[in-house]
Amino acid sequence: MIIDDEKIVGDMAKISLEQDGYEVETFLNAGPALERLKDVKFDVVVTDFKMKGIDGLEVLRIVKNLYPEVKVIMITAFANLDVAIEALRGEVHDFFPKPVKIKELKESIRKALTR
Amino acid sequence: MKRLPDLLKHGWKRTGRALFGRRAEVGEVFAKFRDVLESNNRALELMTDMGEKLGGDYLFDSVYIMNAYGELRSRIAASIESFNLLTGARYDIAAAFRRVDSMIVKGVGGEPPGFSEEAGRVILLDDITVVMAREVGGKNYNLSRMRKDLGLPVPEGFAVSAHAYDEFIAHNGIDKMVDAVRAGQGGEEEIKEIRDHILSGSFPEPLEGAITSALRGLRGRRKEEGFLAVRSSAEEEDGEHSFAGQFETVLNVPIEIGAVKEAYRKVAASLFSASSVAYQRSLGYRIGSIRMAVGCVAMVDTEASGVVFTADPVSGKETLAIHAAWGLGTLVVGGGVESDLYVMEKGPGAAPELMRTGSKESMTVRSETGGIKEVETPCEMRRRACLSAVQAQELAEMALRIEGYFGGPQDIEWALGKDGVFSILQSRPLKIQARRRAAERAGMPSDHPVLMRDRGHVVQRGVVSGKVHVLKSPDEIDGLPRGAVLVAKNDSPQFVSAMPRLAAIITDTGSPASHMASICREFRIPSVVNTRTATQALRQGQEITLVADDEDRFTVYDGLVEGIGGQADDARTGIEELLEFRRKKYLMRFIAPLHLINPLTDDFTPERCGTIHDILRFMHEKAVQELICASVRASSKGTLKKLVLPVPAGIHVIDIGGGLSPEDSGSVTLQQVACEPLRAVAEGMAHPGLWQSEAVALGAKDFLTSMMRMEDITADGGSSASRNVAVISKEYLNLTVRFGYHFCLLDCYCSKRAANNHVYFRFAGGATDITKRSRRIQLIAEIMKENGFISVSKGDLITARLSGLEREDILSILDLTGRLIAFTRQLDAVLNDDRDIEKYKKEFAGIATGG
Repeated sequence: MIIDDEKIVGDMAKISLEQDGYEVETFLNAGPALERLKDVKFDVVVTDFKMKGIDGLEVLRIVKNLYPEVKVIMITAFANLDVAIEALRGEVHDFFPKPVKIKELKESIRKALTR
Repeated sequence: MKRLPDLLKHGWKRTGRALFGRRAEVGEVFAKFRDVLESNNRALELMTDMGEKLGGDYLFDSVYIMNAYGELRSRIAASIESFNLLTGARYDIAAAFRRVDSMIVKGVGGEPPGFSEEAGRVILLDDITVVMAREVGGKNYNLSRMRKDLGLPVPEGFAVSAHAYDEFIAHNGIDKMVDAVRAGQGGEEEIKEIRDHILSGSFPEPLEGAITSALRGLRGRRKEEGFLAVRSSAEEEDGEHSFAGQFETVLNVPIEIGAVKEAYRKVAASLFSASSVAYQRSLGYRIGSIRMAVGCVAMVDTEASGVVFTADPVSGKETLAIHAAWGLGTLVVGGGVESDLYVMEKGPGAAPELMRTGSKESMTVRSETGGIKEVETPCEMRRRACLSAVQAQELAEMALRIEGYFGGPQDIEWALGKDGVFSILQSRPLKIQARRRAAERAGMPSDHPVLMRDRGHVVQRGVVSGKVHVLKSPDEIDGLPRGAVLVAKNDSPQFVSAMPRLAAIITDTGSPASHMASICREFRIPSVVNTRTATQALRQGQEITLVADDEDRFTVYDGLVEGIGGQADDARTGIEELLEFRRKKYLMRFIAPLHLINPLTDDFTPERCGTIHDILRFMHEKAVQELICASVRASSKGTLKKLVLPVPAGIHVIDIGGGLSPEDSGSVTLQQVACEPLRAVAEGMAHPGLWQSEAVALGAKDFLTSMMRMEDITADGGSSASRNVAVISKEYLNLTVRFGYHFCLLDCYCSKRAANNHVYFRFAGGATDITKRSRRIQLIAEIMKENGFISVSKGDLITARLSGLEREDILSILDLTGRLIAFTRQLDAVLNDDRDIEKYKKEFAGIATGG
């Protein structure tokens, strides 16, 4: 699952990940994404940090409540250390400042799934 | 995003005078020159980084683009300030930057970039400029370029802009409806309603006035009553997607306002026709997001017409095909008639061959009152070929010129008038399906012969096969075949003209931050620079496969390696098809491409700068010129120290900082010279066997010439001409020497940073007659070209330059230049015959390669 309020991020990630055989769903905001999560369990959730309404940390909290074993990867355009520390404390699997190198994101997802 | 003036606290005006109201000392100029280089470099790095991040390998968003461009433009602003201080604001580079910046800022803010309010509503084809490209649409823009830049027979006409379309939509009160459809609120019913509104829409008065006046002008210039073709030229058309046949074209429209308005409505409404809506959706466009510019172009009184493909659209092979039929081209384009087919394998001396005479049962002709009609082709014409061999040849040549100009295969519409004159009606990029040899499975072959590996910098990764072309002279660039792997000594932005045809580029020298490198990334051409050995390791005509990894690893295999690479690029293709991706990336068109290629030509001006890259290039070149002038001035008045050399070159040195090791004496030896460029040149000049110590006997004619030669043969004149002076710092050399009657200027900056480095060389004059002097210039020009210089020569004057090489490469070029200066010192006297040029070139090659 990819959640980012800019369409291009989800679209690019979807194309790249589907190429590696993953099934991907993208969402422009967290509300509908979390609704979907209630019905379907995803292996990995990649979410933007700063979004209108429910933000990335909130997504992390809710996902972990629902499925503690699901890995969450956080991406953000506003890279600073505080955010990273806070995110890591909340047991985020990985954290990437934007622009995110797709190859690195793929590697992170691969690790998330093999652990 | 900040306004530009806020970024430029000192303003754009003539700041230069504040510093250099008096004539500046060369030391001051040198310091400013370095400022310009430094800020330019930072800007180039940011630009390269943006290109990489927006290239498809990274997930990015608008915030990134806004921040990255924000930083880039502050850097450019700083660069312009330094540049204006250096040049006394002699060049209006600030205006060029404002122009380019305004286009980019619109793109960063979410609007499509490239909109120019200056474009107005109606623009004559001849008045269209690069900044209006998007506003007049791809089709109109390409027509104007072929008409103005290539001087091709494109019928006259005008564009009705996308801005005018917006006005038309708003005037008819359908802007809200279009906005709603664009926002996804509205279905087929609303789209049909918009179409109907456009078809019955009225024209805003200013727009109608502008069209009327353009029609009046057109009528006034025509001898007979004429007609127009009114065609779509939507913003996105003829660009990355062709939209071929998606929008309306109305032919044979009388040149009067009522008929043109009617045709305009039809064309504009076709944005919302069922088929074009489906096409737009399939490409990911939101309906209502494209704006429609329209072209009104004079109709040709057509005998025959058709299309030319300058390459095979399926295989990408170098085969040109002409399709031709009687009458107007509508049946050929629509596939409604079996046309004549001429085919030509491209290459020297090629001629189109008639492969098929089509049946051509029907043809489209103009009706006298306007409009067109389909009629039966008279029997005697059906089996007759539409074009003679000479005409087909003429058309093929025109098509190849167009292909060369646009730098890629083209799909060209043409018409042959009843007067036997061709007209070009349209040209757009031809989509080729299998341009590069893509392999099927991933993995590297372990047992294939390896020609080169890993030593060098990968500029653009990729996997590609092709035939090696080792470049001997820049003159060969235009003739490089499609799919060639260009192997060259140096990297050069001159390669840009061939890039769309190349499979890959591999060079001995060069850096990943060079101008060429950024263009390679723009075109996504797999490239490796600074391999040191490519020109030796690879043979002319050899088939190779380059596997360039993104980890700066690469391998060149002998022959075509089947089955490598492949899949990796499919995801990229998918990403590149994304509309949002193309939109965001579009602004790179105003940043990365380089149009100002050759600084030795007249059009190297701020007005020609269409991108950030152009602006940086312009400033770098002009900063070099400024430094040269200051050094030449300084050479006439500074404190001189005699340079002791094994040859009597009579060179004196002025140190502007760090060029000499401290020594208080009136003369210096080469060991005391810390200036690396001067050491290299001097060592070259003193190379054994080059310096002719006896005077060469002049013929009577030469002697007379030398007596009559004017004293001042330098570029600047002045007293400096009588002394051989080197103005130096640790990294800089400006050498002016005069031996007998010829003058030579060598200017060089040679630092650890390749992007900063340049060599500028000028040689003029001589004691002999003009024929011999010209032969010497020709010899020098050929040697310089072979060593990667670009040059212009005229009579007995040559100007040559070279830039962007690594320090060691610059030093070896300088050593060679030193040898050349010594070798050619009196050579003109013995160049009695044109054949001597080749003879002495060989002799020099023997010496130049000696240790």
